[in-house]
Amino acid sequence: MTDSGETGRTATDAVHLDGITKRFPGVVANDDVDLQVERGSVHALLGENGAGKTTLMNVLYGLYEPDEGRVVVDGTPRDFDSPRDAIDAGVGMIHQHFMLVDPMTVTENITLGNEPERWLGLSIDRERAREEVVDLSERYGFDVDPDARIEDVGVGVQQRVEILKALYRGADVLILDEPTAVLTPQEVRELFGVFEELTAQGKTIIFITHKLREAMTAADDITVLRAGKTVGTLGAADASRERLAELMVGREILLDVDRPAADPGETVLDVRDLTVEDTRGVRAVDDVSLSVREGEVFGIAGVDGNGQAELVEAIAGLREVDGGAISLGGWDATDASRRDRIDAGMAYVPEDRQESGLVMDFDLVSNGLLGSQHARPFAENGRIDWDAAREHAEEIVAEYDVRPANVDARAASLSGGNQQKFVVGREFARDPRLVVASHPTRGVDVGSTEFIHDRINDLRSDGRAVLLVSSKLDEVQSLSDRLAVIYEGSFVDVVDPDAVTEEQLGLLMAGEQPDADVSVGEVSQ
Amino acid sequence: MTDDADSGEAAADGGETADRERTGDGLGAGLRRLSGRLLVALATAALLALLGVAAVVAPESSVGRLFGIVVSTSTLSATLRLSVPIVFAAIGGIFAEKSGVINIGLEGLLIISAFSAVYGADVTGSMLAGLLIGVLASTVLAAVFAVVCIEYRADQIIAGLAVWLIALGLAPFASQVVYGSPNTDSVGTLGTWTIPVLADIPLLGALFDAAPPVYLMFVTVAGAWYVLNRTAFGRWVRAAGENPRALDTAGVDVSRVRYAAVLISGVLSGIGGAALAFNIGQFTGNGPTMVNGKGFIAIVAYLFGNYNPVGALGSTMLFAGLDAVQLRLQTRQILGVPDSLVQTIPFVAVIVVLALVGRTRIPEAAGEHYESGEE
Ligand SMILES: Nc1ncnc2c1ncn2[C@@H]1O[C@H](COP(=O)(O)OP(=O)(O)O)[C@@H](O)[C@H]1O
Ligand SMILES: [Mg+2]
Repeated sequence: MTDSGETGRTATDAVHLDGITKRFPGVVANDDVDLQVERGSVHALLGENGAGKTTLMNVLYGLYEPDEGRVVVDGTPRDFDSPRDAIDAGVGMIHQHFMLVDPMTVTENITLGNEPERWLGLSIDRERAREEVVDLSERYGFDVDPDARIEDVGVGVQQRVEILKALYRGADVLILDEPTAVLTPQEVRELFGVFEELTAQGKTIIFITHKLREAMTAADDITVLRAGKTVGTLGAADASRERLAELMVGREILLDVDRPAADPGETVLDVRDLTVEDTRGVRAVDDVSLSVREGEVFGIAGVDGNGQAELVEAIAGLREVDGGAISLGGWDATDASRRDRIDAGMAYVPEDRQESGLVMDFDLVSNGLLGSQHARPFAENGRIDWDAAREHAEEIVAEYDVRPANVDARAASLSGGNQQKFVVGREFARDPRLVVASHPTRGVDVGSTEFIHDRINDLRSDGRAVLLVSSKLDEVQSLSDRLAVIYEGSFVDVVDPDAVTEEQLGLLMAGEQPDADVSVGEVSQ
Repeated sequence: MTDDADSGEAAADGGETADRERTGDGLGAGLRRLSGRLLVALATAALLALLGVAAVVAPESSVGRLFGIVVSTSTLSATLRLSVPIVFAAIGGIFAEKSGVINIGLEGLLIISAFSAVYGADVTGSMLAGLLIGVLASTVLAAVFAVVCIEYRADQIIAGLAVWLIALGLAPFASQVVYGSPNTDSVGTLGTWTIPVLADIPLLGALFDAAPPVYLMFVTVAGAWYVLNRTAFGRWVRAAGENPRALDTAGVDVSRVRYAAVLISGVLSGIGGAALAFNIGQFTGNGPTMVNGKGFIAIVAYLFGNYNPVGALGSTMLFAGLDAVQLRLQTRQILGVPDSLVQTIPFVAVIVVLALVGRTRIPEAAGEHYESGEE
């Protein structure tokens, strides 16, 4: 282990990126970007999806060679050819997608590629590897079992293993790409605690985020990127959410919207005593009843994994129902096929856009057709009208500002936020009576989130019924007219989202009843 | 591969629930997986015991005679002999597939080395030199396969089939050119190494009175297990097949690890092919050649052995044992069953075993091309 720790501290910045330009075919991902990161500080790199944050950090980590500009680490100009060079210079990166080998243990993963050896390299010194890992995690106050297999531990622990992996290789500067995207609020707080521990011991942290609040909570300094350019660096103390949002998006953003009172009409979706078992035969949804009316948004809040996914899939027709009934505008849809549900006016924004929302290898024209491939005006007598399909995709791209605005691009080539906008656009364009939206803004930047929220509000004022599931509390709270809290497969309560406080919701999400009565009565009206 | 930065995002999104599911049934699945293999082992043992009891009760019945055949020194030594090429190919296959390259061309590697070894021995007059030439030939073919798959991103299954077809055509053709027949001349067989005293143990004595390749096979199984589980290289091989990007970002060149693993499969298959040919002293190239599917059985063997060299040895011995019994049943006419039916025993066993075992954990990235720096 080559942990240089306290040595070599100078007044110079830990990292200085000077005029970095990085072009990809057709895109300038980084355009003359500057970044200065003080040693021992936490620096947030804030920007919308596609702003070029990941690209910039990949340049610093040696994955990309910049077309122009200098990378200066510790006052020394560097020319990294590969991550190996960056690691040798004390720069470590934790990618958004963890680079861990699932069936291997924590220790095996941390030491991968740097295994301590004995007997002239004929054997891994497993005791020493384990000891080093234990020492390292104790030193930074991490609580990880060195012998656990990666596939058996949660995402939070996996992230720590990634951090330890970088530290084990002697990293002084740690880059984390969207580290909070996969964590629960509790884990996010722990991660920020880890940041403090690390900077206290002289490490420097750069973390990428598009969440304003996180940047303000965890960072000392914040650099904002927009469309590949640096728009500014400011101290977290001087920053406000409004100011940051404006820098990010380039215009003023309304973070809280007032909307007209609901004027609900007839019941569109009616779910009675629904019971759904998950793949293991455990009751994931237990006797849930709800109804959604025209011109109303019914929200479901809860900690992920409490049956929301199964409930939504059962309603969408992707999962078999084990008890109870689902009716769509009076029509019994309990055992109806996906196609019949779509034809009956149901739109569905799935939780995982890449798994079930898009075919990644198809272009946007074909993806825009999904779910309507059998129906007019796109199909007649089994023949697809590709011109109509193309026009349709172009409309979605234009209306939802999907970038790049090229319907011949493969879905896989779009950034996550743009993929999501396209899926939402396709589903909302069905002229639905009912929209089932599961985490519609997950992984989406502020600007696009605002846009999607506006569209949901439009649907509502248009008299459509919306069932909204989200783990973002502010989202469900601000959009819903009635809000159910789900815990271990059942609704704990249905509350008025305007009257309930975040604390009360927190208690409900943990399966407890708060003292004050926030219920709006019957679970289904 | 659509592995850009964003696919990672969504994978991570779904990651949490997926993880929970995986930990939830980890133990159950483990038990189930174990029970499949355990079942086969127990069934084999039970069958032998049953035969044994019957044999003691009625030594002259057909069951009693069957036991006499199954449990005999000569069956064991035939089993070992038949196992050698399969085990070498299987261990080579383990290395390749664990590193992420599915080498379905093991059959072809066995064929090419069987012929080359005989030809080499014939030309040089030395069996050792023949062995080296056989190994060289199959390693060269494996290297071509590796370049095509790793460098030129060819589909591994198609390239593997090509390896088999090339060898299947080339070896008999070369034999035809050199010897005027698909079968080569005879170059003599390998003698046995007899270890004094131990060789006299009843039944198990066969283990100590065998041709050199048999001993080499046991050493190789142990060595392969050690390399895969105890050395850094073995760990890299596993990582290359499970999550090549993790290995790459850890600073290890994935392609090099994969090249090494495929070359190892070439070397080991080369030894197996040479041992097969030296066992009868010539190469026969009619029809499916003398290799006759052993390379494919090797794939089944390592899958059944769950990529563990020891497991592969065990399952190979099971198949080879059945094959040995089958061969001897043909000559003895015990059960009054037609030969052609008896000959199918090992293959029926393969199908039954595969159906029973069901779940083998295939390396996550097996069969996928990996390009470094593709973010
Ligand atoms: N490997 C690549 N090839 C082509 N374009 C890319 C590549 N990586 C990123 N881009 C493009 O560069 C821009 C910036 O992307 P990225 O750095 O991933 O943004 P961020 O991390 O801020 O969301 C986007 O338009 C993206 O499509
Ligand atoms: Mg990014």
